[in-house]
Amino acid sequence: MYGKNRDVDPKKVIKDLRESGKKYLTSTGPRDTGQSDYKNRITMFDLRKLAPVYNRTGYFSVELHGGARFHQDLLNNKISPFEEVMEWRHLMPDVLTQTLIRATNVWGYRMYPRNVIEMAVKSFVPYIDVWRCFDFLNYIPNMTPIAEVVLREGKIFQPAISFTESPECTDEYYLSVVDEIVRLSGGHDSIILCIKDMAGVGSPKRIHRLVSAILDSYPDMVVQYHRHSTDALAIPAIAEAAKAGAILFDTTDDAFSRFYGHPPVRPLASYLKELGFDVVLDTDAADEASDVIRKFMRSYDSFESPYKGFSYDVKQHRMPGGAFPSSFEQAEKGGFLDLMPSILKGMSYGNRIIKYFDVTPGSQITWTTWAGLIQRFNKEEGAQGLTKLFASLIRYFDNGEDFDSLDDEDAQRLLRMYSHATDDLKNLLLGRYGPLPFGWPDDWVYRSVFGENFKEIIDRERIEASPLDLLSQENLEAARASCDRDIERHATDEEFVLYLMHPKATVDFIKFREHYGFTDLLPTPVWLHGLQKPGDRVHFRMENKPHVIELVSVGEGVKGVKQVILSVDNVMHVFEVEMPDMVPQKIIRKARPGVPGEVPSPVKGTVWRIGSKDRQLNEGDLVKKGEEIMNIEVMKTENAIKAPLSGLIKEVCVSLNENVEEAQLLIVIEEEKGG
Amino acid sequence: MREFKKVFIANRGEIACRAIRPMRELGIKAVVGYSDCDELSLHVRLADEAVRLGPSPANMSYLDIDAVVRAAKDTGCEAVFPGYGFLAENPDFVEACEEAGLVFIGPPASVMRMLGDKIEARRAFVASGVPVVPAIEDVRSSQDVKDFGKKVGYPIIIKAAAGGGGKGMRKVLSEEEVEDACEGARSVAKKSFGDDRIYAEKFIKGGRHIEFQFLVDAKDNAIHLGERECSIQRHHQKLIEEAPSNYLTAHQRKEIGNMVTRAMSEIGYVSAGTMEFLFDDEGSYYALEVNARIQVEHTVTEMISGIDIIRKMIRIAAGEPLRMFQEDVILRGHAIQCRINAEDPKKNFAPSFGKITFLRQVSGPFVRTESGIYQGWTVPAYYDSLISKICAVGKDRETAIQRMKRALLEYELWGIKTTIHLLESILDHPDFAGGKITTSFIEDNIENLTDYIDEEEEVFKIAHLIAEVSAEGKNPHAF
Repeated sequence: MYGKNRDVDPKKVIKDLRESGKKYLTSTGPRDTGQSDYKNRITMFDLRKLAPVYNRTGYFSVELHGGARFHQDLLNNKISPFEEVMEWRHLMPDVLTQTLIRATNVWGYRMYPRNVIEMAVKSFVPYIDVWRCFDFLNYIPNMTPIAEVVLREGKIFQPAISFTESPECTDEYYLSVVDEIVRLSGGHDSIILCIKDMAGVGSPKRIHRLVSAILDSYPDMVVQYHRHSTDALAIPAIAEAAKAGAILFDTTDDAFSRFYGHPPVRPLASYLKELGFDVVLDTDAADEASDVIRKFMRSYDSFESPYKGFSYDVKQHRMPGGAFPSSFEQAEKGGFLDLMPSILKGMSYGNRIIKYFDVTPGSQITWTTWAGLIQRFNKEEGAQGLTKLFASLIRYFDNGEDFDSLDDEDAQRLLRMYSHATDDLKNLLLGRYGPLPFGWPDDWVYRSVFGENFKEIIDRERIEASPLDLLSQENLEAARASCDRDIERHATDEEFVLYLMHPKATVDFIKFREHYGFTDLLPTPVWLHGLQKPGDRVHFRMENKPHVIELVSVGEGVKGVKQVILSVDNVMHVFEVEMPDMVPQKIIRKARPGVPGEVPSPVKGTVWRIGSKDRQLNEGDLVKKGEEIMNIEVMKTENAIKAPLSGLIKEVCVSLNENVEEAQLLIVIEEEKGG
Repeated sequence: MREFKKVFIANRGEIACRAIRPMRELGIKAVVGYSDCDELSLHVRLADEAVRLGPSPANMSYLDIDAVVRAAKDTGCEAVFPGYGFLAENPDFVEACEEAGLVFIGPPASVMRMLGDKIEARRAFVASGVPVVPAIEDVRSSQDVKDFGKKVGYPIIIKAAAGGGGKGMRKVLSEEEVEDACEGARSVAKKSFGDDRIYAEKFIKGGRHIEFQFLVDAKDNAIHLGERECSIQRHHQKLIEEAPSNYLTAHQRKEIGNMVTRAMSEIGYVSAGTMEFLFDDEGSYYALEVNARIQVEHTVTEMISGIDIIRKMIRIAAGEPLRMFQEDVILRGHAIQCRINAEDPKKNFAPSFGKITFLRQVSGPFVRTESGIYQGWTVPAYYDSLISKICAVGKDRETAIQRMKRALLEYELWGIKTTIHLLESILDHPDFAGGKITTSFIEDNIENLTDYIDEEEEVFKIAHLIAEVSAEGKNPHAF
């Protein structure tokens, strides 16, 4: 139980792992399995029940933070990632907490400069023990700021090599990556090296060979194997990794396991035991965890992909984890489900043309590129166009990827492939994420993306150095000011970190929280679907006291408003719920702050005079600064509205005796020129 | 003397509800009038009988003398209790009542007319030896005010010559502001009181607003019930009142009290009333006016004197003598009243009307609540924003403040913005606790005082979400 003494020295932990002769497990249930099979919607309400059971399993660590969950927490779970990790620490004191961090992308979707990376990492260091860090280009300099902070703060750094199977991905290649990692980490006695098989493509033998090769070079290296289930060979692959000397393995609860997450813990552990390994796992606790999960699992039915089942062809298309089933869902939503076989086929060619690893953000680049490309060819030339495209691609690979020897028709077709490249793909090709692991693609790809003057663009814009070194530091003061402005108050340090990662989602989350409070107290079915029928009630504790909310009735819905009657702690309340689908809303024009000519109403009231006692005003009239231009009555008090500037009345936006809302636009004045 | 069997209450809100109570105690049936938007208001629910006066705007209902008198007559009432505001200090109304054979529970029309006119009232005060603030009584032109300003110095206060309650009152800091202020005051005076005469007086610095409550019967027996401290004001309207004032000595209390009762006997006042004084920081005092009616803050005097002032007004109107002398008035302890208004202190006290979605009023030891509201009632936009008053009493000021803080903490009112948080901030302010209060206290400290977090109850926030999700069957935030 490594969590028991959290200020444990990473060196000592690594040494213990190495010398114990045992095999250890990391549960990915809350984060990666949740992400791959349940779209990261598993609520803290449910995970809260799981945490004390996990605490007794003997897991080395639990991955409960990072990846896309960070964003999803703000977006849909409406909980702060800080709150989650703090609660995990409290409920699971004996197991290490683990995150997944995307090198320079940290927990966001763009490349952050060094000062933002350091600030974000530091803010979570108190709560996270194990830092798994990967880069989709295996460009190790991108991990530098994270490694520095984590190692300095005495936490366990777990650099991961992004793994796939391809002719370029040789043992020599991976060893060169490992060498760089060792250099970055100042040796290998305080790190765990992770092989990140995020798509689940490594054949058992291939994995055995790779682990052996690493341990041949670095016999004392502690190796962890992260393996998705997609090809259905996860357990044998892990077994081979174990045989070759890997010590830690990712797994999930039996009740959590599906197709695109991780292999189930009980079969995995018992198979490893049968092979003669001493696996650290309290099997009773593991079973109990599955029992807990089964009780809440049905809540997430609607987030599970309808596209179930293993996919051995992942070895060609290489889509990681949940990206595979959700691509089908997106295709269905977009009306191009019938094109999915072509898209997957295209991807299997594409990853031989532009070579990187299909994991965030690379996997998103691959998907948008190929979903777009195949749809475009299909739209322009129909099924025949796709057949021709694949035929051209086959000829290209058959002649040894020699573009110049292709006939004109094939060449033109290939040049059309990337003509609608997204900015992300352009940035990738210009080295803005870092150099590609197996070199830049051929010139024709640049010609396809950037057009005929591609050479010029390459010369001028392609970066060969570390992009991190070229990125200027973020102006944190300015960012903080814009955060404060967006949330209309001073942000806490934690809120600011969230804002740096995901500005819009954070502002929305903070506003949601101010409006609805701490909704993670609600049982998941109530959170997702509300109270279903009259008499249904929900009990919860809040601010150290019990509360009960009961549904009394839901009205029919009149003029776009449904009346919902709830009994809140035994007191009836009527809530008028606007149903946005039912009626177009009356739009109140608000004066834009900072636009001096747009005069807002300071109060909610009635316009009883337009102009002053002495002068009625109309559009086109000239007014002087400070002159009374309107008067609003509220409860018998007069509120004189004075002209904020001298000028011409361009528009009177309200009429006499109109009821106006606070901040509603009353008058637009066009500033006098010249004077 | 006679005994009333049925009395008409020409008011609404908390004061109408307050007046119904002693009537019940005395076996008198209480009849109220209501406007359209008040059909379901609390005073209508509490009364024995209710009569429609007219549409919601006050000038078509509560201010319509004919409608009110007719309603009282039609229901067989013998007397009319006016409360405060509306027609309470309108001598025409008093006369209309008398002409209709209704007893007006308040001073005679002639006295009210004289006191309602600031200029005449000043003359009467001077004649009775009561000190007054330097002023020009009838402002003919803004030039008059400018000349006066040169003589006594700025700031100067300009207000309606008729009426009271701070409506249309303006503080003028320099000569440049005189024109605007005169014009504004005239407009409000005309609008509120139908009389556009205005009045200017010297602004008394460090002013404390202290007023004396008195009772005079028809036989000229007069007593006073001590003073009230009313310095905590916003926009010239009182927010917190106390009795007694920590500023007065027992000797001053006696001296000023006697002066007030003597002056009121001399002018022929009958019923309950209040003489308002302004105290400057050197201890000099000036009479401002007499409020010829029951006041919002009468409760604090009741709490330390044990006398129900409205009950006394009814008995005096019925011709009963006071049956007590000044030495029978024993003031004990300290009382404090907080006004809960439907307004948002954070937005310059903008009115906040709408439905009261949840209400839990307060009681407990030595706490009194007077209100005209209930859960589910909609605060209408047509009338004054005062919706409720809390009064706390204790053996001394500190105890009264402690009880008031407790009461405010327990008071729960959702759906509209109120002054509750502001009141809590004031009570927590060291200057308030130290008794260092002036009429500009709120203005001077507004930023600190409104620096509270104005949030819904957590459980209500989550209930909002449950309501929305239940209406749609699916949480739009989660999917």
